[in-house]
This record gives sequence, C-alpha cells and structure tokens, in this order.
Amino acid sequence: MVVLRLIGELDLAGAPLFQSEIDGAEISASAMVVLDLRELQFIDSTGLRVIFSAHARSLERGQQFAVTNGSEQVQRLLSITRVGEHVRIIDSPEDMGAQL
Amino acid sequence: MPVAEPLSRRARLMRMPGSKREPISPTAQHVSDDAVDLLVEAGAVLATSLELSTTMSQVARLTVPRLADLCVIDLRDDDGSIREVAVVADDERLARDLEDLRARHRLDPDGDHPVAHVIRSGEPQLLPEMTNALLRSFAQGSEHARFMVDRGYHSAVVAPLPARGRTLGALSVLRLGDGEPYRRDDLNLVCELARRAALAIDNARLFSDLQRIDRRLEAILVNLAEAITVEDVDGRTVFANQAAAHLLGLTTAGELTSAEPGAIMPRFLVLDEQGRELGLKDMPGRRLLAGGRPDPLVVRNIVRATGEERWLVVRSSPVIDPETDRIIYAVNVFENITDVKRAQVAESFMSEAGRLLAASMDYTTTLQQVARLAVPQIADWCAIDLLGDREEIERVAFHHADRDKLAAAGGLDGPDAPTLDESTGVAEVIRSGRPRLATDAQPDILAALASRPERPELAGAIEARSMIIVPITGATKTAIGAITLASSQSIRQLSHADLGLAVRLGRRAGTAVERARIYTERARIAHLLQRALLPESLPEIPGADVQALYSAAGELNEVGGDFYDVFEYDADRWMLVVGDVCGKGPRAAGVTALARHTLRAGAISDQSPTEMLHTLHRALRRQPPGADLCTVCLVTMTRSPERARLTIALAGHLPPLLIDRSGAATQVGRHGTILGVIDPIDIHEVEAELHAGDTLLLYTDGVVEAGRPKRQLGEQGLLELCRRAPALTLVGLLERVEQVALEHADGSLRDDIALLGLRLLGSTPAASAPGSLDRHRRGRGRGGEKPVR
Repeated sequence: MVVLRLIGELDLAGAPLFQSEIDGAEISASAMVVLDLRELQFIDSTGLRVIFSAHARSLERGQQFAVTNGSEQVQRLLSITRVGEHVRIIDSPEDMGAQL
Repeated sequence: MPVAEPLSRRARLMRMPGSKREPISPTAQHVSDDAVDLLVEAGAVLATSLELSTTMSQVARLTVPRLADLCVIDLRDDDGSIREVAVVADDERLARDLEDLRARHRLDPDGDHPVAHVIRSGEPQLLPEMTNALLRSFAQGSEHARFMVDRGYHSAVVAPLPARGRTLGALSVLRLGDGEPYRRDDLNLVCELARRAALAIDNARLFSDLQRIDRRLEAILVNLAEAITVEDVDGRTVFANQAAAHLLGLTTAGELTSAEPGAIMPRFLVLDEQGRELGLKDMPGRRLLAGGRPDPLVVRNIVRATGEERWLVVRSSPVIDPETDRIIYAVNVFENITDVKRAQVAESFMSEAGRLLAASMDYTTTLQQVARLAVPQIADWCAIDLLGDREEIERVAFHHADRDKLAAAGGLDGPDAPTLDESTGVAEVIRSGRPRLATDAQPDILAALASRPERPELAGAIEARSMIIVPITGATKTAIGAITLASSQSIRQLSHADLGLAVRLGRRAGTAVERARIYTERARIAHLLQRALLPESLPEIPGADVQALYSAAGELNEVGGDFYDVFEYDADRWMLVVGDVCGKGPRAAGVTALARHTLRAGAISDQSPTEMLHTLHRALRRQPPGADLCTVCLVTMTRSPERARLTIALAGHLPPLLIDRSGAATQVGRHGTILGVIDPIDIHEVEAELHAGDTLLLYTDGVVEAGRPKRQLGEQGLLELCRRAPALTLVGLLERVEQVALEHADGSLRDDIALLGLRLLGSTPAASAPGSLDRHRRGRGRGGEKPVR
C-alpha cells in the first residue's frame, strides 16, 4: 500500500507535482493507493481532475484506490461535483490496511 | 561676625584670667573690653572656617588659658553617641592623654557624666568645687577616675550647644589644681560662647549637608541624559547641563550660560505640532516667569545652521524664593522625543499613503495624491517618475509647498521628467535601483542629484537644500520609477530616517503601480478572451435586466476557464449558463468553446437541460484522453407576464442564488455530477419561479474561493453580500460582488470570476432598472443583437 499525503492546496500550481508522483514507479507497483487528504486545505477543479485521473489510472492498473476526507472545502467540492460518490472514501489509511 | 549689644553686656560679667582670678567689678571697663575681645575673636573664628573640627578646636583654644586650663567640646552624633571634637589644654600632653582616654572610654550618653547630663537636659551645669568623690561618681571607669583625680580636676562649667531647639553637644571648661572656682557669671559667658559655637556648628552642618546635596544635585543634573536649563527672571540661562547644550546644537553648556537673554533662540526654528512657528514668549519657561502655568509643550526644533531636526517636550517648573514667595527661576527640562515622534509621523504618513495606494487602480491619480501627502509633511517638494513601456521616464506627479513655484514648474505635472540616459539623479536611481540621500553638507553630490542643466528655467522650482531619490520597486525588485523628495525653503534637512521612510514608500508605490498595471493587463486579456469565448454582448430580455461580469485571473499566456452565455432558444424561452472548464491555456479554451456551442446546439434542438448536459458530457468524453472536465450551471427560463419559470440543472457546479426583493438569498438546484470524467452522470432538474424584483445570480467557484485559504469569501459570505441586492442595480450588485471578491483576494485573483445575473423587472422597484452599461471594463456585454435562433 502506498499512502500519498497531500498537504496544503491542490490547484493548478500543485497539479504537475502530484501528477508526476502518481506516474512514479513506487505507486505504479503498489497494490493499493491511498490519497490522504486530511491535511489538504483546498482543492479546485484542476486538483479534482488530477485526483480523478489518479483514480482512473489505478483502475486501469487493477489497484485498489481510496481517499481520506479533506478539509470542509475539499469535502464540499467532492459533494458538489459528486466525485465523492465514485471514489472510495475512508477515514484513515489504516482503515484500508485493516481490510487486508 | 559683629558682636551684638546684649552679648557685650553679658561679657561684662566675666572675670579675666589675667587678673589673677580676682573677682571682677561689673563696672570695670577693661574687663568688659577683654570679654568683648574674646567674643569678637570667637565670632571671627566662627565666621572664617566652616570646617567643623577646625572651627571647634579654634573655639576651644580661645578659652585656654584665658578662661580655662582645659576645654573640651563634645558633640552628639545622629545615633545619640557622644564624641569629642576638640580637646585643648595648657599642657598639650594632658590634651593628648585625655583624647586617648576618651577614645577608649566613650562617654555614656545615659550616664552621670555632667556632659551627658547637659546634652540630655539642655541645661548648663556649674560645678564650682569638684571633690574626688564627685569625680569618681561620674567617671567612666576607674582609669578615668584616676585620671581626673591625678590631674587635679577642680572646677568646671558645662554649657549646652543649643541650635534650633536641639542640643548639639556640650562645651566644657575646667580649671585644674588650686585654681579659682567658676562662678555664676562665668557660666553665663561660657553659655554665650557655647551658643555662638552651636550656631556655627549648625551652620557648618547645614552647609555641609547643602554642599553634599548641591554636589549630588549638580552631579545628577550635569550627568542627566535629560537636557536641563535654569533661567532667571531676566531670561538669562544660569545653568545648563551638557545634554542641554548638545540637544540645542551647541558644543558646551557655557555657550548657553554666557549668552545674552534671547540670543540663543534665533538659532532655531521652533514649530509646534501643527507647524506654527513659536517665539521665545511661547516657551513654557518664559510663560512661567511671566506668571502663567504652562503645560508641557511639544516642539519641533530645527537648528537653522544645520537643518537638524528634533522633537522636544519642554516642561518648566518654578523655583520659588521662600522669603518673597516669588518665582526666581524656571527649571526647563527638555525631553528628546525625536525618534518616537518621527516614527509616529512616518507611521501615520505610511498608513495614509498605503490607504491611498490601495484604494484605487488609477495609479496616476493615486501617485499625485501621495505626492501631495508628502508635502509639506515630509518634504517641500515631491516628484514621482515612472518608467514607461519604451523606457522613457514619465513624470506622473509633482507637488510643491510653494504655490508660486508649483505654478512655475507647470502645475501638478511638474517639470519635464529627465531621460533615462542622464548620468545622475532620477535616471541614475532608476538604473541602479539604489536610493540616494544628499544634503547641502555634500554640495557636490546634492548639485549632481538635483541639477537639470538642460532645463535652467526650473532651477527655482526644483532647488533643494537636501534631497532624497528612491526607486519605486515592484515584485521583481527592479526599479519601475523613482520618488524624489526635497527640502528647499524650509530649513529642515532630510535625514536617514526620512530616507528609510522614502524607501518604504517606494516599495509600497511599486506594489500599487504593478498591481494596477497587472490589473489593466488582465482587463486587456479578459477583453480579448471574452471576444473569443464569451458572447460579444448579451441579448435584451424583455421585462428583465440581464448582466454579466467576467474577471480573468490569468497571466498573459493563460487563457480559458470560466464561461457564460445567455440566449433565446425559442420564443420567450431563454437559456442562461455559467460554466468552468478545468485548466488554462489553449486546450481549456478549446473545451470552453466546445461547451458553449454544444449547449447552444442542444438548446435549439429542443433538448431538456438534463439532455443538454448529457450531450455535453458525451462530447467531452469524445475528446482525446486527458480527463477534461467541466462544471456547468444551466438555467432555462420561460417568461410569462408576471413571472418567469426556471429550470435549474447542475453538473458539478455551485448552485445559483435566488435573491428575493427583500435580499433573502437561497441556493437553488441539486448537485449533479461533474462532466467529462465519470460515467454515468447523474443530473437533476429543479424548478423555481422568479417574480418581479427577484434576482437570479449564477457564478463560478472563483467568486466564493477568492481570498482562500485565510480570508475566503465563501458561499455564506456571498449569501450575506446578496442581502444588499435590493439596494443595488443589477450592475451594481455584480460589481459589488466582484469588488468584495477582489478585496478578499487582496487584488490578486487566483481563479477567474464569472457572474451572470438576471433581474425580473416589475412595475415598481427603481433599483431594478437597468444600470449604466456603457463601461465595458471587463467583458461585460449587453443586448442589442438579435437572439440566436
């Protein structure tokens, strides 16, 4: 399991860095990917897109994929766009590990 | 000390030692003269020296051998103990032995010794015949007793030393061996001598106390950091400490105390806090001496010769002569508050300048206001130059404290700006980015900084006694202009403190100018973008006011993002749409165009809002892979005479606001899936009605996220803001929302803002009439063209 902790803001400026991490060898080789958003304060539609593309990549690779809940704004955006309904949301990365 | 009449009368009672101790006749004139001589001599001795032990020895010496074989003067110390200060005897060895003995056996102040008695009671004692038994009875131990018996202590007078109601000590005269016993009249003379000695001791003590206090006081005053002067009723400075001399720009305190009254003042320009010139009569010291009760005065003191400026608090307190009850001196304390005051002036200046610079995007006007603010507070004249697109220096502001010189310089635009290739002054500062300060102490530098040889006619207007030129720097730290501050007719010299202030002002101005320029640049970009991606203008909807506002956050090369559209797709059927395409750049711009045209095509094909969004979703999914996503808020409106029926469909977008005539706003719509990434999407339609005076507001997330993360406007903030809607025209409302969003974002948006508003016009509210639509600042369009069918 790889846990990628996102801290601060995920927008146009941060998206390329995130994208390169997702495409990195470590994540590609893992059976499970968890995006830990608990310390993510803000996300915009660009951020949403990279998260969703990470989700899509995981599905293609046959990986399990989940995110933890972020700040109020992050949750609000997941709710407005209804992306939250299509991504597995867990309380903490340990929840994912516990299922093994 | 002159001998007073009563003393000479008493002196007549004395018996002289030279008369072989015969009783003296009260009428014997020679005796009286001799007694007078003694007291005159005593007076002379007591008057000449003020050193206590010397004086007392001299007094004691007067009595030996004329009046006594042995004389001892004892004083009571502050702690009550008794200490002999003078021992004089005919036989010097006796005197030394007694001193030695008394050093080892001090008199017990509470004991039976006649000296202790006299000091306690204040009453003199006459001991005409002292028996050995009597001597032993008051001896301070056997050694003392033996001493007195062996030396033949025989007769004694012990007189108190009285002063100001206290007994300072005792004067004892003794006769040894078989001498004549003392009698009552001897007692009187000894008492008189003791009284005079006591007066002298008291004076000497007071004097020494006073000297000690004086010395201490002077040491305090001289070394005090606070500047102090003392002036007398004639206005002459009788005392000044070094700090006062320094503060007033003089080398020594002597320059102050030797000056004629009023001679120092003209060396200074003294101003009150409001800048009014003050004279000598306004100074607290003078007002005090004139009978007033002046409050502390804050003055700005400028040394005319050097232009040095100091802020002082001047406090004066009176010294009153206790005998006449009149003020004889005024003590002036000058407290230097220059640093505090300068900081205060600088802070208030900076805060006012900051407020001006932040208030408007019109930086030319703002900089003119800043120049006006600096004059005369900081400088006598101020010029502000900016570097233009073609590297030309443009003088955008000039202000001069002297109206005539301002006019001579050509008013606010001022003298022509220098050109960048000039070797000195503004041009050099802009090229180097380094601030400059020059005073007339460095005439060459000042001349180089200030000179405009090619414009000699400006010499009068731009003359300077001291000058500061600082760069106006923006985010990149390169100079985009310069601010010049100069003092000319006022004698104030610009200082390093002013330079610091000016540098801060330069930075603040730079930020403001850059922000304004970026703002202008953004407006230009947004305008171009709008032409490509947004409707040229909005259609007119009968009975409704429709307005849009678009504010791009993008840097020069970043386009794309938010979009909006309004069109009539069937008779009295309208569609309003606001959307946000993820990302920036050409690709996002392409998706924006695709979204807009797909929705238009769907509408005119009579699709429902849900179908239109599905169509767009499929179109996005057919795009080359790359997860293009798009949020849309789509509203269709069907007009009837009294109201409008709305259908709202959301795809990952914030719900629009319905604001009623009272200002109460509610979000309408149900969350739907964002388009382009997830299959299947889930879209819901929600119906609503709009009545006359109601407002529908569509917006993008850039509005509510402005100022994030610290000062985010938020959905709640927007709802609150809408309470003001009824008092505003629709244009006014959109501008207000944009302004608040910009404020939250400190003028620098991180995301685009798109606002689309529709207000249904009724018969009534004036506020709902269309506002002024002639300003196409930021891609706001308006009706005129026929709806697209």
